[in-house]
Amino acid sequence: MTTIEEAPRLEETTLGPKAGGLYRRQNIFTGLGFGIFLGFVGWLTAHAFLQSSNWGTDMVVTVTMVGWVVGFNVGVGTFNAPIRWLLGHDQSYEDELYAAGVGQGSKRYYKFCTDHKVVGTQYLVLVMVMFAIGGTLAMMMRTQLITSHSSFLSPDSYNAIVSIHGMLMIIATIIMVSGPFANFIMPIMVGAKDMAFPRLNAMSFWVIASALPPMLATFVLGGVDAGWTTYAPLSIQAPAAMDAFSMTMITFVVSVTVSGVNTIVTVLTMRAKGMTLGRLPIFVWGSVVGSALSIYAMPALLLGFTSMVSDRVTGTSFFVAAGGGTGWLWENIFWIFGHPEVYIILIPPVAAMMEVASTFARKPLFGYKITIAGFVAVGMLSIMVWAHHMFTTGWAPDLAGPFMLTTELISIPTGIIFLCLIGTLWKGRIWTRLPMYFVYLFLWNFIIGGVTGIYLSDVPADQYFHGDMFVTAHFHYTLLGGAMIAATAALCYWFPKVTGKMLNERVGKVSFWMIAIGIQATYFGQFWEGFQGMPRRVAYYDPIFLHANQLTSVGAYLLMAGWLVLLYAMIHSVRNGSIAPANPWHSKTLEWMVPTPVPLVNFLVDPVVTSDPYGYGEEGSEGYVSSHSPPARSEDELVPLLSSDYPISGGDR
Amino acid sequence: MPEVASSGSEPTRDVWPTKGPKAKPAGLLITFGIALALIVGVGALFYGETYRSPSGTEVAKSVGTATVNGVTVPHVTLHFQTYPDSTGIVNGVPIHPSGNSGWPAYGLTNSYQVPAHALVTVYVRQYDSGGSLNNPWFATVRGTIDGTAIVDGKVVKSISPNDVGHTFTVRATPGTDPGFFLSVPLPAVDGDNQTDNGKYHTVVFSFVSGSKGLYAWNCEFPCGEMLASFGGPMSAYGFMSGFINVA
Amino acid sequence: MIWLVLTVAGGIMGVVAPHHLLTSLLSNDGTDVWKTMVFFTVLAAPVAAFVYSVAIYSLIGWRHRGNQDEPPEDGPPIRGNGFVTGVWLITSTVLVIVLLVWGLSVWSAQQVSHPDTLQVEVTGQQWLWTFKYPGTGVESRELVLPVNRPIEFDVSSVDVTHGFWPAALGVQVDANPNVVTVIRTTPDRVGKFTVRCSQLCGLYHSFMYAPGSVVTSDQFATWLQSQGATSSAADKEAQVSQS
Repeated sequence: MTTIEEAPRLEETTLGPKAGGLYRRQNIFTGLGFGIFLGFVGWLTAHAFLQSSNWGTDMVVTVTMVGWVVGFNVGVGTFNAPIRWLLGHDQSYEDELYAAGVGQGSKRYYKFCTDHKVVGTQYLVLVMVMFAIGGTLAMMMRTQLITSHSSFLSPDSYNAIVSIHGMLMIIATIIMVSGPFANFIMPIMVGAKDMAFPRLNAMSFWVIASALPPMLATFVLGGVDAGWTTYAPLSIQAPAAMDAFSMTMITFVVSVTVSGVNTIVTVLTMRAKGMTLGRLPIFVWGSVVGSALSIYAMPALLLGFTSMVSDRVTGTSFFVAAGGGTGWLWENIFWIFGHPEVYIILIPPVAAMMEVASTFARKPLFGYKITIAGFVAVGMLSIMVWAHHMFTTGWAPDLAGPFMLTTELISIPTGIIFLCLIGTLWKGRIWTRLPMYFVYLFLWNFIIGGVTGIYLSDVPADQYFHGDMFVTAHFHYTLLGGAMIAATAALCYWFPKVTGKMLNERVGKVSFWMIAIGIQATYFGQFWEGFQGMPRRVAYYDPIFLHANQLTSVGAYLLMAGWLVLLYAMIHSVRNGSIAPANPWHSKTLEWMVPTPVPLVNFLVDPVVTSDPYGYGEEGSEGYVSSHSPPARSEDELVPLLSSDYPISGGDR
Repeated sequence: MPEVASSGSEPTRDVWPTKGPKAKPAGLLITFGIALALIVGVGALFYGETYRSPSGTEVAKSVGTATVNGVTVPHVTLHFQTYPDSTGIVNGVPIHPSGNSGWPAYGLTNSYQVPAHALVTVYVRQYDSGGSLNNPWFATVRGTIDGTAIVDGKVVKSISPNDVGHTFTVRATPGTDPGFFLSVPLPAVDGDNQTDNGKYHTVVFSFVSGSKGLYAWNCEFPCGEMLASFGGPMSAYGFMSGFINVA
Repeated sequence: MIWLVLTVAGGIMGVVAPHHLLTSLLSNDGTDVWKTMVFFTVLAAPVAAFVYSVAIYSLIGWRHRGNQDEPPEDGPPIRGNGFVTGVWLITSTVLVIVLLVWGLSVWSAQQVSHPDTLQVEVTGQQWLWTFKYPGTGVESRELVLPVNRPIEFDVSSVDVTHGFWPAALGVQVDANPNVVTVIRTTPDRVGKFTVRCSQLCGLYHSFMYAPGSVVTSDQFATWLQSQGATSSAADKEAQVSQS
């Protein structure tokens, strides 16, 4: 990690290209260049030696994509430090400062930067790019489905779009809170100066960024036609796009696992004085539970996609019935990842939203400890419910009962979390700013998503609804209407801290109503289709489903427009918004105690925590952070970290 | 770039704005314009470049009228071929615009148009070799007049399920005319290394088209790649699949 | 008050909506789906209504009004309430048990195999269903079933995974290659339905459906004969249908 303790004076350090040579010239463009170069080398090599073999195209695509991912990361600087260690050097202090982005202004956002705030901002932009692409794909699907036999898309392009929309959105929602906010906000919340492993932190971002181009490349490689679940054996039959898709997923697993470990170690080891586990803000708990789940779930995905590539490229037959394998194996592996994944998506945003609820109700969190228990219980149960996705596959019918039990049990801790949320609102002096709007929208949506989930957990009812639009509507209500809306609440809440500007709430509220109404129209339409019996993932449908589909399409357009208005509000506010004070919401968590923009080392004075951050309305609760904490170091030592010619995080916005 | 607070000791300001500057309509329009351009651009990229399929619809030629079950209906004919190599060029027209060597294709288009409730007589030249069906059910001629087809001048009701080159299988798309179904096996040409102008079988059959709407045809012989030989040309639209528009 | 109104509204929605929205159901299992929807919605309505009414009441009752500035004073420091939490826990546990008992009893009733069952071998392939009636030599792309006779579907696939989904019969099972999966149902009304594929299966997944119908036993025997069934087998079917 960036060591601050031995910080020499600024004038004694040299921050020039000399100290690192080539290393200092790396940025996203060298990454792109080297990635394309190594991808090309991989393509040439594979083409020369392997094209003649039976699995030629698949091998070529796989090698090319490996070349790209490795090349991009070498080019952007992910492996600098390990390479130096291999060569027998350590990072110099200047290197560390350089890697933290010191003195580089806005250029550091295009570089391998170890500052957790820069990484968080990079994640935020990446997530938005992913949502923009995924949303565009959704709009294409809705355009196809606006009439029953539209010729807008061919059947195979529709399937490819369905698959990539699904997985892209899953990836984006997994990192939408654990990327931007668990990186930018969470370390400050626990009183740390950075993440525990800043280089791994930057690595997790650049690795996942390098996974995006292979995913989009699937469109020119024939398209993934097997849905986001890529059920084998259909995915074994799929075009070479499936190899690129598998590489995306393997790369994604690396990123999420690394980031999960980083989060947990940060929380366990980097807390400020007095920040006991019982005083951690609930968002920190949510991040930890989410990270623990991803450490459990992601290896399954890695295993699955490695076997998938192996089946496709080398002719093993893990999932091919004719070779002794079975598609059920894939389904099990996938859902062992796939169900915890839902809670990896859901728990961090919900936890973040509970911070919002407490702040804007001006009340302590209701049942802090049972909320944590709720998150942990949801997390534990979520690893035991995967086969409810397989009720109708014919696999192990005798397990229908046990999995129905665990699935329905999950509604108990979920109910507890709901209770804590409404308990926090009860009697609160509710301050109706934009983040609070989204909390209410979450409540509305997630109840619907939850109740429809109970129908689906019931095996007899699931036999009607499995694989039809009802399921689609259900998980969009939970993941979009629930998780993404909660994440939006968090985004609006932390926007002033992240960007240094206040969000334009007038435009924001316009977008809120468009999003709120858009969600209801879109997914009520899909429930309607589901009741009538329209299967998922079809590009052409019986005209009896026409009206429901038209409602869905119109709702989806409104929803997309709503997101664009919110995007506009954000861009407009970043450019022209009024400067945000350090603590616009008068919240009590630590991230609001540091100046905006946040300095490189977050805390100018090491904080000492004396209570939990929910002391609203309590006597003497002003002193969550002890004002008598001793300065960490002498004034002289602080100079390089604070002076205005020494740019600090956010200083160039 | 706005001025930023740089001193860490600055106290938190209690004054903060409730509303940002007024949003400018021009800015809003521009954002939307950019977003729309992005959507259209990305959409056009995915839609236009990747999924080219044979263009042009072949409209069935009218050859007068015919009497089917005592009813006089229009009589039309359709001609098409099944080629073993989609990269070939026939009469100056590529069989498939993004043809792939080793991938067979129907040619010269995959899109046909016939009148509703008409007698359609189809002439197929089958140039490709073949093998065994995944399901022998498709070796039987189904849905034609009398359930027969004429293969090289001989009337047949079914062919050997182990000697099939392709099938021409048509079904109604959902909501069109669920009763409509047509499947005609096209026998394989002996030997490997078939070319786009080599030996061929002629298959002729007639059927009565259904009511108006979109019908989908495809091949049910596993002539593709990968698992079950249904990958490659079988899963890429336009080689072994297409639509019949009943107008 | 809000709670009562919302509960009643949810309950009414639960009773009325499934009936109108579900496709016309032709079997006992289909009816079970409908009953489950109604029962679960009625159970869930008060809970959902409780959450909504607390949220709405907080908004109406204690919202900070006026300008968009911070509320001048904080809310009461309620950090939890053991009694409420306990009641909530017990209620949700009881509800879960009720749901589970309901679900398991319906599910186990479906698992029972009856004597005199009509076997139908269902084969999924890209991208068509075919239905074989063992002992008759009939293989068709249409699914025709006699009414009031237990049916056993033996479902399999020749290539990738498909989802055999006759929605109106209220049952569903995947068709997997090299495996036979079994579901049972008893159609109890005459009518037409559609068998769809519920598992994405490639290019023509949208077009993978089959027309189905539930007919009287006599019509069923006639249909078998028209499909070229060996006459003895058809006679046997006819006898079974009359017994």
